[in-house]
Amino acid sequence: MTTTTFSPQRLGTLLVALALLLAPLTLGGEEYVLRVLTVGATYAIAVYGMNLILGLTGQLSLAHGGFFGIGVYIVGLLTTDYDWAFWPSFLVAVLVTGLGGFVAGIVALRTREEYFAIFTMAMGFIIFLVISRWESVTHAHSGVSGVKFPEGFGLFDFSEPVVMYYLVLLFLLGAGYVTHAVRRSGIGRTLVAIRTSEDLARSIGVNVGLNKQLAFAASTTFAGVAGGLFAAVQGFVGPSAASLDLTFEMLMFILVGGLGTVLGPVVGTFLVLFLFEFFQDFEAYRFLVLGPIIVVLVIFAPRGIVGYLNAFVGKLRSRAAGAGNGSGGPPEHRSSDTATDVKETL
Amino acid sequence: MAPMRIRPGATVTAAACAGALLATSACGGGAGSGSDTIVIGYSGPLSGGAAVYGKNIQDGLQLAIDDLNERGVTVDGEEYRVELQSLDDQYAPDAAATNAQRLAEQDDAAVVFIPHAGGIQAAQELNSSRTEFLLGAYSSDPKIVEQGNELTMMIPPSFKSYAEPFVDKLTQNGESKLGLLGTSSEYGQEWTKLVTEEWKSRGGQVLSDNSIDYATVSDFAGPVSRTLADNPDVIFLGGPSQPTAVIIEEARRQGYEGSFLLMDQAKFEEMEEFTDPENLNNAIGVKPVRDYDDPGTDDLLDAYAEKVTKKQPVTSEVALNYQSAAIVVTAMQQAGSIDDSAAIREAIPDAIGEVDEHFHVSGFPTEITDAGHLRNKDLEAAYRTPEGEYEYLPIEQPDE
Amino acid sequence: MTLFIQQLFDGLALGGVYCLAAIGLTLIFGVLRIPNLAHGTLYMLGAYVTYFFLVTVGVPYVAAIGLAAVVLAVIGVLLERIVFHPLRNAPHTHHMIAAVGAMFFFQAVAQAIWGADFRRMESPISGSVTILGAQISWQRIVIVVTAVIVLGLLTWFIKRSIHGQTIEAIEQDRTGSSLVGISPSRVSMLTFGLAAALATVAAGLVAPINLLAPTMGDALSLKVFAIIILGGLGSLPGAIVGGFTLALAEVMTSTYVSAAAGEGIAFVVIVLVLAIRPTGLFARAVQR
Repeated sequence: MTTTTFSPQRLGTLLVALALLLAPLTLGGEEYVLRVLTVGATYAIAVYGMNLILGLTGQLSLAHGGFFGIGVYIVGLLTTDYDWAFWPSFLVAVLVTGLGGFVAGIVALRTREEYFAIFTMAMGFIIFLVISRWESVTHAHSGVSGVKFPEGFGLFDFSEPVVMYYLVLLFLLGAGYVTHAVRRSGIGRTLVAIRTSEDLARSIGVNVGLNKQLAFAASTTFAGVAGGLFAAVQGFVGPSAASLDLTFEMLMFILVGGLGTVLGPVVGTFLVLFLFEFFQDFEAYRFLVLGPIIVVLVIFAPRGIVGYLNAFVGKLRSRAAGAGNGSGGPPEHRSSDTATDVKETL
Repeated sequence: MAPMRIRPGATVTAAACAGALLATSACGGGAGSGSDTIVIGYSGPLSGGAAVYGKNIQDGLQLAIDDLNERGVTVDGEEYRVELQSLDDQYAPDAAATNAQRLAEQDDAAVVFIPHAGGIQAAQELNSSRTEFLLGAYSSDPKIVEQGNELTMMIPPSFKSYAEPFVDKLTQNGESKLGLLGTSSEYGQEWTKLVTEEWKSRGGQVLSDNSIDYATVSDFAGPVSRTLADNPDVIFLGGPSQPTAVIIEEARRQGYEGSFLLMDQAKFEEMEEFTDPENLNNAIGVKPVRDYDDPGTDDLLDAYAEKVTKKQPVTSEVALNYQSAAIVVTAMQQAGSIDDSAAIREAIPDAIGEVDEHFHVSGFPTEITDAGHLRNKDLEAAYRTPEGEYEYLPIEQPDE
Repeated sequence: MTLFIQQLFDGLALGGVYCLAAIGLTLIFGVLRIPNLAHGTLYMLGAYVTYFFLVTVGVPYVAAIGLAAVVLAVIGVLLERIVFHPLRNAPHTHHMIAAVGAMFFFQAVAQAIWGADFRRMESPISGSVTILGAQISWQRIVIVVTAVIVLGLLTWFIKRSIHGQTIEAIEQDRTGSSLVGISPSRVSMLTFGLAAALATVAAGLVAPINLLAPTMGDALSLKVFAIIILGGLGSLPGAIVGGFTLALAEVMTSTYVSAAAGEGIAFVVIVLVLAIRPTGLFARAVQR
C-alpha cells in the first residue's frame, strides 16, 4: 500500500475529464450529440450549485430552476433588447443571481428541511410566474430570440458549436474544482457539521446562519452561470427555462449521480439526459418506463451511482486491507452518504 | 496517508461515464436512414398538457404519408417510401430544437415539422446557421416568418388576418363593450393584444382582462362571472376547444346572451361535441373542415374515422398538416432531391400547383409568399348565427 | 354585490374541493413526514376512475365516486408499500424525487388508457338556484355539502374510532405509539389509502364542472401545498381553515385585483407565512 502512487480518485477524475474533452473528436460531425453534451454541461454546472446547498448543508432548494431562469433571462434580455455584449450581461447575471441568493437566503434559511423545500418551491414558482407573465419586460411566452454568442475577441469563434462546447466545459471544470476545493477546506467541514446537526455546530462556535447563507448564495451563483451559458447555447429562450420541472430534473440528476460527491453531478446529468434521449423513441409512453426507473434508482441506489460505487469499492478495499479494525473505509467517503443512511457504509 | 484519501469508485464511474458518452454517439445513424426512404421529421407535444394538439398534427402528417405511399413516390427516377419520425418535446422550445437537430442529422430528415412558435423560433436559430432542414412551421403567429429565415414554411393563416373581419362582423349592431376571457398561453396573450388593439381602434371599450390559464383553473365559474359583471356585448375567448366549450356553456348558464369572438385554436366542430351546440350560437371562428367541398375533403374525413378515431372530428390541425406534408413531398419531386432542403424550399411555389387533387382538403394553398407563408386566397371564417346556421365570410389577408 | 355573492359561493365550492385534497396531504405529512408531490396525480387518477365507473360501466354518480374511492385507496396503499415504505428511513429529498417518478408514471398510465384528450363527465345534478341575485349551480352546492359531511365523518373517524385514533397517536409520538403496540407500518398504509380516497372524492365532485385530462392534478398539487403550509403541516383543522381561506383569497384576488394575481396568490401565501412564522400558522410543537 505504501508503494502505491496510483490514486484512483485522480485517475477517475482524469478519465471523466478526458472523456468530456475528447467527446467532440469521436463524434465526427454529429452536432446533435454535441448539442446534447453542451446543454448537458450547462445543466451540470447548475447541478453543482444544487450539490453545494443540498449535498453539503442538507437543505433542498427547489428555487434552483428559478435562479437558473433568472440567469437565462438576464443574458437573454440584455443581449437582445438592450444590445449589450455577452460578457458584461453574463457578469450581471452572475452578480444578480449571487446577490439575489444571498438576500433571499436571509428569509428562506429561517426555515428548515421540508419547510425550506416548500418555501423555495413557492419562490421558484413565483419567479416562473413573473417571467411567464410580465409581458412588457420578458415577452412572456413569446420568448427571446437572437441571444448573442460570447465575444471571442478575435481569438475564438463561439458560434462554432465545438468552441462553445469547450467554453461551457471550462466552466464545468471550474464548478467541479470549486466543489472539490470546498469539500477539502474548512468551509466544507463546517457545512457538513451543519448538515449533521445545526445545534451541535452552533455549540462549537460555528456561525450557522452566515455559513448556510453563503452556501445558498454560492449555489444560486452557479445556477446563474449555468443559465447565462444556456441562453447563449440555445439562442432562443422561453419561460420553460425557469420552470419547476427543470428543478426536479436537476434534483434527479444529482440523486442519480451522487449527493455531495465531486463527480456525481456530471455523471448523473449525462446519464439521465442520455436515458431521456434514448427513450425518446417511445414518444409519449417513455414515462411508463422512466418513472419506475427513477423510483428504483432512489430506492436501491439512494447515494447515487458515484456514492454507491465509492462505498462498494471502499468495502472491497477495507476487506483486502485486513478486516478487524472495522472502519477501513476511506475517511472522506462518508460525506457522500445521505445523513441518515450511514449503517451500510461502515 | 495522503493516498488513502481517495474515492476508488471514481475509476469505475469514469468508465461508466465514458461508456455512456460512447453509447450516445453510437446511437447515431439509427432508424430510417435507409437509402430508399424519405424521412419526414416531427417534434411536438406528445405528452403533457398539449398532447392532444400534438397528436392531431401527427395524425394529419401520418395520414398524408400513408396516402402518398399508396400512390407511390418517385423522386429523380427512384422510388421511395415516406416515413414519419416523431419525437416528443412537451411544448418546450429547447427540446424541440434538440429534436429537430437529431431528426435532421441522425434520421436524415430534410423537413422537420414543429407546431409551436417557441420551438419554431428555437429551431430557426439552428437551421439558419448550422444544421440544414426545412422547417414546417405550424403556428399562426406571424413573427415566425418576420425574421427572414429562409428555410421556414409557415402552414396556417396568420391570426392577424382574423382580427379585423371578426371585429367587423360582431360590431355591426353597434356593440361597443368587449370582455376578455382568453387563455393566458403564449398564443392567447398575442391574440388578446391583437383583438384589444383592433377593438380600441374603432373607439370601442375594452373591459378588464380576465385571461386565465385554461389548463390550471379548477372552476371557470369565477372568471366567467367577473367578465359578465361588466356587461360585455362581445366576449373574446378561446384556447383548446374543450375548455372553451365549457366556458361558453358556463357563460350561457349565467345568462349571457351576447356574442363570442373565438380565437383560432378553438374549433366549432370540436366544441359541438362538448356542449349543447345551441350555446355556440352567435359566435365567430374558423371554418370547420367538414364544411369545405374540396376534392379530397370527404376522403380525409373517412380515412380519419377509419384509421384514427370516430369519436373526434377532423380539425384544421389535421387537415392543414395533411396538405402540407403532400406539398413538401411534391416539392422534393419537383426539386429532384430528397435531402437538399434549400432546393426543396425553392421548388414549393411550383409544387403547389402540382399536388394531386386528392390532397386538397381545406382551402389548399394557392401561393407561398417570399417569406415562406403558405396562403389560400379564398380564406373564409365561419359565423354561427343566433339561429344556429353557419355563414361563411371571406377574409382579406394582409400583405407580408 | 351580486358579483360578490356569486364569487363567495364559487369560493366556498372551490374551498370544499381544496380541503378534501389537502387533508390527505397533511395526514400523510403528519404520519410519514413525506411531502407527497404525487398527490395531484392521485386526484387525477381518482377523476378518471370515477369517469370509468360512471360512463363506461354505468353505475350511478354517487356509487361511481364511492367505488373509485375504494380503487384509489388500494392504489394509495400500493404506492405506500412499493415506493415510500422502502424509503421510510431516507431523507425527504428522496421521497420528493420518488414522488416525481410516481407522478410521471401515473400520468403516462392515464394517457395510455384514456388518451391525452379532454374528457367530460356529466353529473346527474344539473340546474341552478338563484340566491340573492347570484346564479349558483346545484353541483357547487353539492360540493360544499358533501365536503362538510365528509369532513365531519373524518373527524369522527380520527377522534373516536380505534383505527383513526392510531393515526393521531402516530402523528403525536411515533416511538411511544409503537411501544403501546400500534404498528406504524399499518398506520402508514391506512393513511395513504385514506388520503387517496379523499382526493378521489374531491376529484369526483369537481370533474363535472371542469374537464378530465392527464395533467389536471398538476396545478392542484402545488396549491394544496400552500394550504397545508398555511394551516401548518400535519394539522387537520389547519387544512380545513387553510383550504377555505386560500380558495376565497384566490377567487377574491382574481375578482378585485387581477387574474394573474389570483394565480400567484397561493405562492405568495407560502412565502409570506413561512417568512413570518417558519413553521406555519397552526403548527403544533414539532416533534423530532
